Order: sequence, then C-alpha cells, then structure tokens
Amino acid sequence: MALAIGLETAVKALRAHQLAVDIAAHNIANANTPGYSRQRVLLRPLGYDAPDTWGGGLLGRPGLGVDASDVHRVRDVFLDYQQRNAISQREQAKAQASVLERAELIFNDPSDEGLSVLLANFWNAWHDVVSDPESSAARTTLVHVTATLAGRIRRAYTNLVDQQTNLNLRVEALAGEVNAAVEEIARLNEQIKQVQLLGQPANDLRDRRDLLLDQLAGIGNISYTEEPDGTVTLTFGNVQLVSGITARTVETYSVGGMLHIRTTDDNTAVTVTGGELRGVLDARDTDFPALIGKLETFASTLITQVNAIHATGYGLDGLTGRDFFTGTGAADIDIHPDLVADPDRIGAASAPDAPGDGTVARDLANLRFASVLGGRTFEEYYANMVAILGADVNRAKGLAKSNELLTTHLETLRQSVQGVNIDEEVANLAAAQYAYQAAARVITTIDQMLDTLINRTAI
Amino acid sequence: MRVSEQSRLAARLGYLQAVTERLEQIQQQLATGKRINRASDDPAGAVVALGHRREIAFEEQIRRNLSSGISFMNATESALAGAVDVLQRARELTVQAANSTLGSENRTAIAAEIDQLINQLAQIGNTTFAGAYIFSGHKTRNPAFQVNGNPPTSVTFQGDSGERLRQVSRQDSVAVNVDGGYVFGTVFDDLITLRDRLRGSGTPEQFQESLAALDAALERMIDARAALGARVNRFEAALRYSEDVDTDLQRLRAEAEDIDLAETIVQFSTQEMAFQAVLGVLGRTTNLTLLHFLQ
Repeated sequence: MALAIGLETAVKALRAHQLAVDIAAHNIANANTPGYSRQRVLLRPLGYDAPDTWGGGLLGRPGLGVDASDVHRVRDVFLDYQQRNAISQREQAKAQASVLERAELIFNDPSDEGLSVLLANFWNAWHDVVSDPESSAARTTLVHVTATLAGRIRRAYTNLVDQQTNLNLRVEALAGEVNAAVEEIARLNEQIKQVQLLGQPANDLRDRRDLLLDQLAGIGNISYTEEPDGTVTLTFGNVQLVSGITARTVETYSVGGMLHIRTTDDNTAVTVTGGELRGVLDARDTDFPALIGKLETFASTLITQVNAIHATGYGLDGLTGRDFFTGTGAADIDIHPDLVADPDRIGAASAPDAPGDGTVARDLANLRFASVLGGRTFEEYYANMVAILGADVNRAKGLAKSNELLTTHLETLRQSVQGVNIDEEVANLAAAQYAYQAAARVITTIDQMLDTLINRTAI
Repeated sequence: MRVSEQSRLAARLGYLQAVTERLEQIQQQLATGKRINRASDDPAGAVVALGHRREIAFEEQIRRNLSSGISFMNATESALAGAVDVLQRARELTVQAANSTLGSENRTAIAAEIDQLINQLAQIGNTTFAGAYIFSGHKTRNPAFQVNGNPPTSVTFQGDSGERLRQVSRQDSVAVNVDGGYVFGTVFDDLITLRDRLRGSGTPEQFQESLAALDAALERMIDARAALGARVNRFEAALRYSEDVDTDLQRLRAEAEDIDLAETIVQFSTQEMAFQAVLGVLGRTTNLTLLHFLQ
C-alpha cells in the first residue's frame, strides 16, 4: 500500500514539474507580448488532512507529494492604478502639444517667410508710396504686397478653422475606440466569470482586459473596481460604461458644429478630465477659439484702421472716400478690387489734383507704430500672439515629456513585477527539468523495490 | 530590481531615441543656423527676435527713403546749379547791355540769347525725376513752368507749394523738394522785361534795375542750393546712422535666434560620440543571456 502511494507521489511530482516546464515555455513565448504578466505555478505540499484510517497517528507519516493545480499571474494592481493615471495625463498633454504644434507651423515665425515679414513689407510699401506718390510702380507694389498679406491672413484663418474642425474626426475616432474597448471588456468580463466558476484563474484573459484598461486610460480618465466574481466595473470620465457583463456605448453629437460624446442609451454627456480626449477638446474648444479670435481682432482692426485713414485720401483720379480693404475679418480680408484694377485710385494725397502729395500714405505708413490693439501695435500684437502660442506649445510639450518620463518609470516598475526575464525562465526550466528527472528516479526506485518484493521474494 | 525582457528592450530603445533626438535637434540647428526655428523653441527669445526683425525691416525702409530722398535732392541740386549758370550768363549779358556803348545790333543779339536763356531756364524748371516734375510741388504731373509765346511773352507757374515728403525716422517726415514758385520767383518776368528793354530803348538805370532783380534771383537760387546741400548732408548722416543701427540690430537678432556655430559643432560631436557609445554598449549587452552559458 505505502509503495503504491509513493508511486502516486512521484507521478504528482512529474505532473507538477511538467506544468512548471509548460508555464516557463508559455512565459518565454510571451516574453515580448505587450501587457503579458508572467505566470507562476503555485506548488503546495499535500499532507494528510483526514484522520488516519489505517491505524497509527498522523505523526511521522510522509506527505502525499505536491499539488500544482494553481497557476497565478504576477501583477501589482496598485502600479496598474498609478500607471493608468499617468497615461491619462500623458496622453492629454501629448494630444494638446501635437495639435498646437501644427497650429504654430501655420504662422511660421520667426522666419524670413512668416506673416511678420509680410506685415513689415506692407508698411514698407506704404513708405514707397509716400516717397513717390505718383509712381505707378510703388502703387502696384503696394497692391501686390497687400494682396499677399491678405491672402496669408485668410489662409492662416482657414488653416486654423480646418485644424479645429478636423479635431472632430479625432473625437469621432476616440468615441469608436471607447466603444470597441468597453464592449470587449464586457465580453472578457463574461469569459473571466465563467472560467473562474470552473475554478480556473483566467490569467491571459485578465492580461487582455488590463491592456484594454491601459488603452482606455489613454483616451480618458477611468476608474474601476474588480468585483468578487472577477468582472470589473468601469467608469469612464463621469459615466459608468461597464458593469458585469453589460457595456454601455457612447456616441457623438454636434453642438454648433463641434462634436461631443454622450452615452447612447440615456444621452448623458461624457466629460473627462484626462486622456487624449481631454487634450483634443481643450485644444479645439479653448486654444483654437482663442487663437482664431486673436487673428480676427488683428484682421478686423487692420481693416477698420487702414480704411478709416485711406477714406480721407485722394487718388490720382481726384476721387476720395474709398475703402482700401474689403471684408470684415480674417476670413474675408482682401484688398479692394477697384484698387487692384487701377492702383492710381489708392488715396495717398490729402487733396485732389495733388499727385505728388503722400501725406495720407505717410499717415498710413505711421499706423505701423499706432498702439491700436489694446496698447499694442499691429506688429507687437502679432508677435505676442505667436509668442503665447509658442509658450503654450512649449508648456504642453514639456508636460508631455515629464509625463512620458513618469509613465516610462512606472512601466519599468510594472515590468519589473510582471515582465518575463528569459534568464529567470531558463533557470526555472533547468530546475523543473532536474526535479522531473529526480521524480522519474523515484519511480525507478519504487519499481526496483516492487521488483524485489514481488519477483525476488521466494514464496 | 528585476529586469524583464520588455523593459530591457524599452530601455534600449529609450536610450537610442534620446540620443538620436538630441542629435537630430542639433543637426536641425546646424542646417538652419538658427536656435529658434519656431516660437516654441524659446517663446521669450522669439518675442525679442521678432522685435529686432521688425526694427530691422523698418530701418531698411528708412534707408530706402533716405537714399531715394538723396537722389531726388541731388537731381534738384543739379537743376538749381544749371539755373544758376543760366542766370549768371544772363547777368553777364545784362552787364554788357548796361554798357551804353553797345550798338542796337548787339542788343538785339543779346535779346535773342536772353530768349534762349528763358527757354533753357524753363526747361531746367521742368526737370523730372522718376516721372515727377520736381519743382511742381504736389502737382508733379504738370510741368512747373509753361512758356507762352515765341519769343516768350510770359511764363506761368503751374505747380504749388506742396511738400514732397520722406519718412526719415519713426517720428519725422521731411520735405525733399524745393518750392519751385518761391525759388524761381519773378525770374522769368525779370528776364522778359530785360529782353523787352534790350529790344526797345532801355536806359542804363533800367538795366541796373534788371541787374538788381537778377542778383536777387541768383541769391535765392544759391540759398536754396545751400539749404538743399545741408539737407543732403543730414540725410547722408541719417543713412550712416541707420546703417550702424542695422549692424547693432542684426547682431542682437543673431544673438537672440542664431546658434553659436563653434559651440553647436562641439555639442554635435559630443552627441555623436554618445550615440556611438550607446550603440557599442547595446551591441555588447544584447548577447548577454543565460542561454549562452548553459549547454
């Protein structure tokens, strides 16, 4: 009887170490799988847990070998929690930085090709008209320089508005990603629950679910709790999107041409305080309107100020009261078509029939130094606008960088807990191999003992 | 600390990326020669740089205004010099005419030359610069002087006293023309009177009167020339000053937005060495695994 138990013990050992080899193989196979948590076989000694029915006491009896039924994954849920907060912040800053960086390219200043150069050219062209008011060359140059400046302002405006509305596409895409993630999480919840009911740990399913939680944290701030049945309850921003095995989806809706996100079932507006969605919305709803507003103020002030002075000037044809610019703002600013058709109509003189008079052109050239934009000149206002945008980009990039460092650090910590180390697995493999060989040797030994007992013992 | 395969890989990529990023940044600076390519590279520096660029563009235009003003005044000055020559010739002839021994034949010849001088002076008065009549004030599309009749019976001034402006600094605009009506004054009438006296029977007193009138005209012309010369000098001084200002501004702008070439090249080679070092270390540590040591 005892010898048979010994055999059983050895077989259990073989199974346990075979499992250890399998798990090492699984770990090695997934060494580079994102989100994978290394797995460990939980070895537990089996002892007698029932009173001895064969007589004698429990004392002195050997155990019944090893139990290796449980495979668990090595993971630190607190690090997960920290990392997901950090990911939310990082993605928010990254989104804002990349969007604003593109806006900065529109102005392309300071450079030899930026809007500031065109603005300086515009004022300078007026000087040339002051110097040679009757010269059609100076007037034609002014017309061209103005058309270029107006065109650049319009293009900057269109580009800004385009970039702003293009962010709607990103919001739409993010809503889709949220839906895909929550639906998969709900499905995984269901599978994990079933596997757990069968007494299995569902390690790989949990890894997949954790990866999805990381992804969601990149889109918006999330909070979650794991229920005793193995499912997670997930709140995205201000709304609960996964509970047990059911997911609520979100959809986009438009407010004044700008897309926002709400739940599909009861239309609760979804607000997030972190993640890419927050960064995109901040850029779209705060940074861009401010920037577009400044460009508008710049353009409309330029139009009204220049027109007011120009209207007092007389063209070479003796007529006065003309507008220099058409349009009301950055979207439609342009030089008046009448002036393009005949630059002689530009009102440079303060009286009719005075082709050599550049007094009004002089006043226009001096508008360059007029503090008409809240204490700033046109050029100062523009420089300030570019600098503030630059500072915003700089700050967002700095924030993205520091958050990147934080997530990298946390990821290293997380990997140090859950990541696979090949050397370690190879060592485990060797240990399991030796243990397996030793268990096999136990079987050989018992076999020999049985041989001695059964075949060599004379009856 | 336990190091996993993934964090080893991530760390290696991280080192490489950090070094390549710095290398890339320095390369961009070297290629453009600029430390600030966009405002976000240094927002405060960008404001300073834009300010300097603004001043540079303005000073450049001021120099343009000054040079074109100088050209205009030089043209005016040559015209006035020509007018002075004409008047001096007229004065010489008047002195001859005042000589009572001169016969009527000679007087007629002088009268004919005075007619020519009147036309010549009117031509000088109608000098154009870049298509503008320089003595016409604001009415630069009209010839300043219209000679009526042949031989001339009168000359009408068609200009006005308008000032032709040049912006020479942030605050000042200065006229570069001279008032044709004032400078030429009654000189044409004086010459016509002189000619009529030559043709008729001018008395020595009358010729003395004409001489005095011509002297007055000459004085006005010479004064105008002197004043113009002084203005040209002022413009030239302002031009030199603006060039100095430009040099300073260019230097300030360069300090704000350009790289220090020597320093950047040193930084580049430092980063290049760091890059090679990282590659070398990665090459040697990548092969470090237990598998090599277990048979």
